[in-house]
Amino acid sequence: MARIAERVEPILHNRLAVLRAERGLSRQELADALGVNYQTIGYLERSEYNPSLDLALRTAEYFGLPVEAIFSRRPFALMSDQLYASTTRADTANG
Amino acid sequence: MTPRTLTRDGSRIERLSRRNRRIIAAATLLGLPAMFAWSAIMAGTSVPSVVWGPVTFMLIGITLVGSLVLYRFIQHRADMPGAGLDERQRQLRDAAWILSYEILAAVVVAAVAIAAVAVLGFGHPIVLDANLMSAVAISVGVLLPLLPAAALAAIEPDPPTEI
Repeated sequence: MARIAERVEPILHNRLAVLRAERGLSRQELADALGVNYQTIGYLERSEYNPSLDLALRTAEYFGLPVEAIFSRRPFALMSDQLYASTTRADTANG
Repeated sequence: MTPRTLTRDGSRIERLSRRNRRIIAAATLLGLPAMFAWSAIMAGTSVPSVVWGPVTFMLIGITLVGSLVLYRFIQHRADMPGAGLDERQRQLRDAAWILSYEILAAVVVAAVAIAAVAVLGFGHPIVLDANLMSAVAISVGVLLPLLPAAALAAIEPDPPTEI
């Protein structure tokens, strides 16, 4: 029985949880906006479900971001690290 | 089209863990055949009906209550064509139907193999009398429609808690 439920596709990493938190959205609100069940948002955030291309594009459209900014085959760097690095670079450039 | 949703204020049935759902699904599917097996064994003995009755009703009750719990948990999410399901729910529903087919195929193959061994190996004739046929018909009639719901309840992961 477990064989069916076993994951066979590769893990798709995503930034859904961060984006949702940034915008102060509940899973239910995001689910309603994307036309899916709120549990599906939870499974997506935990990388336990890979979205279809259609759902990935709808998600990107909803957040106004390119799809690769939300979903990636490789783990994302921490947003805080990226933000801090870019801030540090800007400070250095400004002297 | 609104995807079928388990709400935060859902009942305890809707919040059953996968482990418990698997136990309920297995017990539900085995209750009725176990009752027929129990009755067949008891028919060949001189055990009083005061022993036979409660066990029989308990086994029927397991299937009855279990199927109600499973149907309440699944809420038509195992149905075809699945209007109102989102893509993940449809994918899970399809996996449940595949698992149902695998279980059914395994049961049929096992039944045929047991019959073949009994007849060919031990020379024990299988009598297709009314008792056997009604037991098979009732089991198939009750359990076959329940199989996809039981499979879906068994494979659906535990939901995320946050709404």
